[in-house]
Amino acid sequence: MARNKFDVDEELESPFSFIQLKRLMVYLKPYKKKILFTVFIMLIASGANLIGPYLISRAIDEEIPGKDIGGLMVLAGVYLIAIIITGICMKYKIRMMSQIGQSVIVQIRKDLFTHLQKLSFTFYDSRPHGKILVRVVNYVNSLSDLLSNGLINLITDLFSLLVILGFMFAIDVKLTLMAMIGFPILAAVILLIKNAQRKAWQMLSNKQSNMNAYIHESINGIKVTQAFTREEENKRIFSEVSDSYRSSWMRAVKIQFLLWPSIENISVLTTSLIYVVGISLIGDGVTVGALVAFVGYIGMFWAPIANIGNFYNAIINATAYLERIFEMIDEKPTVKDLPIASELPLIKGKVEFKDVTFGYEEGEKILKNINLSVNSGETIALVGATGSGKTTIVSLLSRFYDVSSGRIEIDGVDIQSATIASLRKQMGVMLQDPFIFSGTIMDNIRYGRLDATDEEVIEAAKAVQAHPFISGLSEGYKTEVNERGTRLSTGQRQLISFARALLADPKILILDEATSSIDTETELALQKGLETLLAGRTSFIIAHRLSTIQNANRILVIDKGRIIEEGSHKELIGQKSYYWKLHQSQHQSLDVG
Amino acid sequence: MMQSIRWVWGYIRNFRIRLFSGLFLALVVSVLNMLNPYFAGKIVDKVIYGQENELLWIFLGSMIGVTVIKTIVRYNYQIMFERVSQSVIFNIREKLYDTLNKLDFRFFDQTKTGDIMARMTGDMEAVRHFTAWTIYMIFENITILLFAIGFMFYIHPPLALAMLAVTPIIGFFAMRLSFTVKPTFSAIRGQFARLNSVVQENISGNRVVKAFAKEGYEIEKFSKENEAFKEKNLDSSRVWEKYLPILDSLAGVLTVVMIVVGGYMVINQSLTMGELVTFNSLIWALNNPMRMAGWLLNDVQRFVASAEKVEELLNTEPEIKNETKSYNVKHFKGVVEFDQVSFSYGDEQVLNDINFKVRQGQTVGIVGPTGAGKSTLVNLLSRFYDASEGEVRLDGLNVRDWDIHKLRNSMATVMQDIFLFSDTIEGNIAYGNPNASFQAVQAAAKMAEADDFISKLPEGYDTIIGERGVGLSGGQRQRIALARAILKNPSILILDDTTSALDMETELRIQRTLKSFLNEKTCFIIAHRISSVKDADLILVMENGTIIERGNHKELLAKKGNYYKVFKNQVGNFDGVHDFEEVNYLNGAQ
Repeated sequence: MARNKFDVDEELESPFSFIQLKRLMVYLKPYKKKILFTVFIMLIASGANLIGPYLISRAIDEEIPGKDIGGLMVLAGVYLIAIIITGICMKYKIRMMSQIGQSVIVQIRKDLFTHLQKLSFTFYDSRPHGKILVRVVNYVNSLSDLLSNGLINLITDLFSLLVILGFMFAIDVKLTLMAMIGFPILAAVILLIKNAQRKAWQMLSNKQSNMNAYIHESINGIKVTQAFTREEENKRIFSEVSDSYRSSWMRAVKIQFLLWPSIENISVLTTSLIYVVGISLIGDGVTVGALVAFVGYIGMFWAPIANIGNFYNAIINATAYLERIFEMIDEKPTVKDLPIASELPLIKGKVEFKDVTFGYEEGEKILKNINLSVNSGETIALVGATGSGKTTIVSLLSRFYDVSSGRIEIDGVDIQSATIASLRKQMGVMLQDPFIFSGTIMDNIRYGRLDATDEEVIEAAKAVQAHPFISGLSEGYKTEVNERGTRLSTGQRQLISFARALLADPKILILDEATSSIDTETELALQKGLETLLAGRTSFIIAHRLSTIQNANRILVIDKGRIIEEGSHKELIGQKSYYWKLHQSQHQSLDVG
Repeated sequence: MMQSIRWVWGYIRNFRIRLFSGLFLALVVSVLNMLNPYFAGKIVDKVIYGQENELLWIFLGSMIGVTVIKTIVRYNYQIMFERVSQSVIFNIREKLYDTLNKLDFRFFDQTKTGDIMARMTGDMEAVRHFTAWTIYMIFENITILLFAIGFMFYIHPPLALAMLAVTPIIGFFAMRLSFTVKPTFSAIRGQFARLNSVVQENISGNRVVKAFAKEGYEIEKFSKENEAFKEKNLDSSRVWEKYLPILDSLAGVLTVVMIVVGGYMVINQSLTMGELVTFNSLIWALNNPMRMAGWLLNDVQRFVASAEKVEELLNTEPEIKNETKSYNVKHFKGVVEFDQVSFSYGDEQVLNDINFKVRQGQTVGIVGPTGAGKSTLVNLLSRFYDASEGEVRLDGLNVRDWDIHKLRNSMATVMQDIFLFSDTIEGNIAYGNPNASFQAVQAAAKMAEADDFISKLPEGYDTIIGERGVGLSGGQRQRIALARAILKNPSILILDDTTSALDMETELRIQRTLKSFLNEKTCFIIAHRISSVKDADLILVMENGTIIERGNHKELLAKKGNYYKVFKNQVGNFDGVHDFEEVNYLNGAQ
């Protein structure tokens, strides 16, 4: 599988399309009414706003030359009312804008996060976690402006453009048509800039993602860095990563900033044209006041166009992020519920592997033709060298990966036909790498079964011998720990993780190196209790210390992805093979000793 | 607020020439901005009303010329500001990264990854926005405002004065906005960090989430923070909703004042129509800055909220400092002494009165129950933590007196919790020696018994592994980490539970190879298996932060104390055999 590291850009080949925007629009759909209402409000506001120049031109044309102070006051009064209306509209606009924008963002982020939960180990294993994080948090945030200000401004700007055009047409048709000459020129400029800008922003989002991945990994690996005094080297790398982010930023803005000057120059050219033509037409159907008003409108006419240009800019930039977000939403989980998948009923715990073959990557065979039948309540131990495939076997049982060929059945049901959730809920897995969430120790154990009472949590901790050390902490079960497992040794984290698996009260229990970092004394105490813990459960135990193993109903010796020996302790001894050799050599050494 | 601005100025000042050039150009643009309305006024006055048509071309030519120059200058100073801001945040980021590298384990034990990420991404964005945009917007608006006022006073002081009467009210509301909105931005930043943490942990812990089918719970947990983030944002927008329309309306009132007072003055003939038109075309220059005031203050407060967080992180002082007295040493001998060393974590005593001495080339085994303080003990040697009492000495000198980098460089630690980087296997092994040759990397891997499995991977040493080494088994990760430590060729090798996930056979082979490698090197081995430590020159048995037994394997067995008990447990009696290979090895070596 192609893995990605921090300094590798993620390729994404998709031509600029409005598909991303269309998908974004789907999120806006529920707010159609609110958006329309806001647009309506803004329409009123633009109307009120546009009265301004008209009132002034009227004052200059009529009331002032006519020394009509009363009339002037009336105009002023109307203007004040317009201002108040504008203010009220603005208040609503801000409110609606933030509500819609924020709600959409919450929804997109939630969809993204929910989808992430469905993705398989493969997804997480094949890219730096920082790159996933940046999408869910930072990229989605960067849409906020586009959605809150952008869209509604766009609509209202379009409307004010129409209204202004209306006013302009009302004053003079010829002049108005002339003012619109700028449009096609502007369109040409935009088309010219568009592609370069889009590429620049894609590059930027890549560099941003790389930088975040590097920061993220640096934080998580800080202890190793300090232990190996790699700080200087990392600083150098970070400088590079950070610098390429900076230069891609500069490149992006250099292109993006071209839009404004274009608009402004086109605007001044058309305005000049209007002056020339307008003045030549004075007396010829154009009054002085009308021309003054018209020129006033022309100024206002270009403002929304500039805004629309900005919105366009923002869209181009946002699509660079949208692509990444939707790409992740579109990522297909490799392990997923089949359409016909049904809930796995309460299981008894009979497990069967039928001719199971598996490889993480195409063509690779980690497991070869595994056949295995386990009765409910049996304890199965897996022994074998590191990397022989022990963990892989139990991972398949939880459907962390799906088999390449063959099938695995629980109680006679192919696990691929069951829903993943219903399967995993009935299994307790203690992973090799104990992960601790930030929160209290109590919360961490309770993760196994969220509705467990404090007593049940403590009970589970006692069963796995974690109680003594937890109660030894100054705040006991309420001690705050975090991801990196503050103040807990690996052994202690394993115990917490074990308690968590046990609390789930699963029918099938998988212990993968559950006790590798636990001292012998604790482990022995654990062993004594284990028999009761395992009663009534089908369990798979992977361990290098054989202490538990000999009590297992059956021992599987795994070598290079195959089961090479299988049987109880006694049977295997009788087979006089690999297991027996171990045993035999021990006999001798004891005799010698 | 001033504090944050002063802080960011410390970074901006390096680019002050560029910044001031940019501001100067912005000033030029502001002046040029004045000109077009002036020309427009002249066109109305002289051409439209005055019929001096020949002037039209001059005015229009000037307008176009001014605009062309203006846009070019404007483009350039915008780029200048972007460059300044990018350089500023580049430097802040570097400094942040540097700070993070200097901070000690205690800090990372207590701070969530997501929080730090929030500082380095979202908060930096706010700083960027401020330096790239807000600073010059403020400057531009202030200059436009001042010019507009100046110009208006120049044209007609009484009318200008009348219009200015409104500004104190605008100022009042702007300040109110500023004060009210600040806490909402701090709340947003705080919530942003929480959201970041929840997502970050979910990603890092994805295996556990799936193993326990807790996706639903995770989504719920996430949704809570997600919704809260929205609420905090809405809280902030409720403040704008209240003040921004007021500010906007007050700015509009300026126009009303102009038309009423101005119109009255024209009627009184104390003002010409042309002057009124000029005022009218200048009104935006008065209006806009007033309108912008609210938004800009908003931006400033947003910046302050983030800057405070960034600054706080930058100002975090590591408790472990390099107060080096700079003793020059090329190579440490590896003589280690713990002299009445105690260590507490908060109010918890982790180590208590630890005393022992290790000669060069000796191997120390440390055994004891989980949480006895074994890892902490070796962490004191590398100064990942500092002893609360007593002295840890290396080559006769307190470890605090050595240069911390030299000290750590002389040691290689394989930590219990193996972290590998998302890099190639080769890159991971060469982590401590980035310039190591491939042969050296491979030799280290061979010694760590890792070459075999690495070579079997489709891409061998070029295989990229994920963070935390996912995709590799525990034993494989441990061996890569061991190779990483071996390649460093340290004076002191610290193996913290390094072989726990290895099968006995592999462990034995590693032990044999290590023997020749260790030679003159001092070595600490923390383990639970007696087999891992039994050859050590000194074995420390720890419990509850104290050394309860010490001696070599034989002596300790003879004591029939705790060590003996552990040994017995591991060897077991014949019928209750625990670990055949182990027993075999242990006994064979006796």
